[in-house]
Amino acid sequence: MGALANEIDPREFDSPGYQKDPFPLYKRLRDHHPLFRDRFHNRWLISRYDDVNAAFQDNESFDRALYKVDGPYEFGSSHVFGPNILEYGNSDRHRWLRNIIAGQFVGQGLVSFIPFIEKIAGELLEDCMGDGEVELVSRFSNQFPIRVISNILGLPRADEERFVGWYQALIAGLGFGGEHLARGIAARNEMWKYLEPIIEERLRNPGEDLLSKIAVAELDGQRMSMDEVKGFIALLLAAGGDTTDKAIANMWYHMLYTRPDQFEDVKKDPSLWENVFAEMMRYDAVVHVQSRYTTREVVMHNRVIPERSLVILLLGSGNRDERVFANPDTFDIHRTDMHMGRENRSARYKDKLPGHLGFGVGQHFCMGYAMARQEAVIACTRMMEVMKNPRPKFATHEGISSPNIDSGGFRSPQELWIEFDG
Amino acid sequence: MRVTIDLDKCIMAGECVYNHPWLYEFNDENQASVKVALLTTDDQKLAARQSREVCPSGAIQLHDN
Ligand code: HEM
Ligand code: SF4
Repeated sequence: MGALANEIDPREFDSPGYQKDPFPLYKRLRDHHPLFRDRFHNRWLISRYDDVNAAFQDNESFDRALYKVDGPYEFGSSHVFGPNILEYGNSDRHRWLRNIIAGQFVGQGLVSFIPFIEKIAGELLEDCMGDGEVELVSRFSNQFPIRVISNILGLPRADEERFVGWYQALIAGLGFGGEHLARGIAARNEMWKYLEPIIEERLRNPGEDLLSKIAVAELDGQRMSMDEVKGFIALLLAAGGDTTDKAIANMWYHMLYTRPDQFEDVKKDPSLWENVFAEMMRYDAVVHVQSRYTTREVVMHNRVIPERSLVILLLGSGNRDERVFANPDTFDIHRTDMHMGRENRSARYKDKLPGHLGFGVGQHFCMGYAMARQEAVIACTRMMEVMKNPRPKFATHEGISSPNIDSGGFRSPQELWIEFDG
Repeated sequence: MRVTIDLDKCIMAGECVYNHPWLYEFNDENQASVKVALLTTDDQKLAARQSREVCPSGAIQLHDN
């Protein structure tokens, strides 16, 4: 093969083949174009584990928000969520907003959510387990995280259906532009109108629920503005709902179809769901792509990325980097070359093993990392208790796919039918 | 006020380093460590208390002298 065989046509990123199976292209990028200038989409791509990990940690060179030369960040009313922490880049305001709430999602805060997680899992399972078969995505995973969040926020249970509806419109508004975006923003505005009096009430009469805690939290003598509270709730729905929902489906897909042999191990020892979670986050993380903007010229692989360039961090590719993981294209819950336990923001671990990149690293490292794992593991464990001898209903499956790279590329199966004994 | 890190408890989460980079760093041995020996101002002490809150493993200890 000549050199041309390794050339990459950027239009491949928009092809159905890529959306279905991006991994061969990731490998060509890692091997031949570790820094790829995509002129067609006007962006740069980095794809090796070490480069992605380093870029996540290099706040001097990369910023999550498109900064303005002459002042603060562009602030987006055009964003489906409205003002939210994602848009504050690496600023002090970001640190402040994150700190005021991050504690709610780890340690004692997290422990206090577990009864809600158990309760919702139990309710949903009871509802869908009667028939000896279940379509997991629509009947369970799509519903589960959003109902957990709505309960944790302490919203009236009678309003849960409406909340789920807004959530679905918001999510659809994220990726597909045009009409979907308009509907997403409309749903957000409706949800905000609904939330406002509730937030005001909680401010006057704070309870133990998360919404009260967010509304009255103070840091350096300051509270979040009403818009920031509402923006954070909207973000929470998408960042914490859509992702965890797809994570659960991906875990089951890989147990049922990719590694039925290792599924037998999990049936014997349900604590292995923790490993299934970690390996899913590496092998086929829900989120494959994060974007950053350069804040100065960056030299990488002997080339210069100019200031203010869009750089795509392909964490889905870094996770398959053969320079770091042996047999990267094998799904293996017993991997000994990856840290399988809880993730760390620093990407450093006492066992000295590398971790997966599925939650990002550093400044914007997922705030819900511990909660997502907890929810996914509890859900899967409960399902195994209720379903005896779970197995795929259909011998073949069309597989996991993702919408295109520009919409974040949240990967999951569209449908997943499971059969079991009553 | 002085701050110490119990390295047996520390899981290297890095929350302290990310939130209060003036006070914490990962040193050359890749261990979380404290950069400022003695905290004197109210702001510094407040930040130290906040850092203890965000540490997921309870490794950060504050001492009043
Ligand atoms: C398996 C499920 C999840 C996945 C795959 C996931 C993935 C991610 C990733 C990759 C980032 C990094 C963004 C960046 O680098 O710019 C992130 C950030 C974030 N995640 Fe998650 N997430 C999940 C669950 C959750 C949950 C349950 C919550 C809420 C409790 C949550 C809340 C957030 C927030 C607020 C941020 C922004 C943090 C910041 O900018 O400082 N996520 N998530
Ligand atoms: S936050 Fe706690 S666990 Fe994490 S590095 Fe600092 S001291 Fe260690």
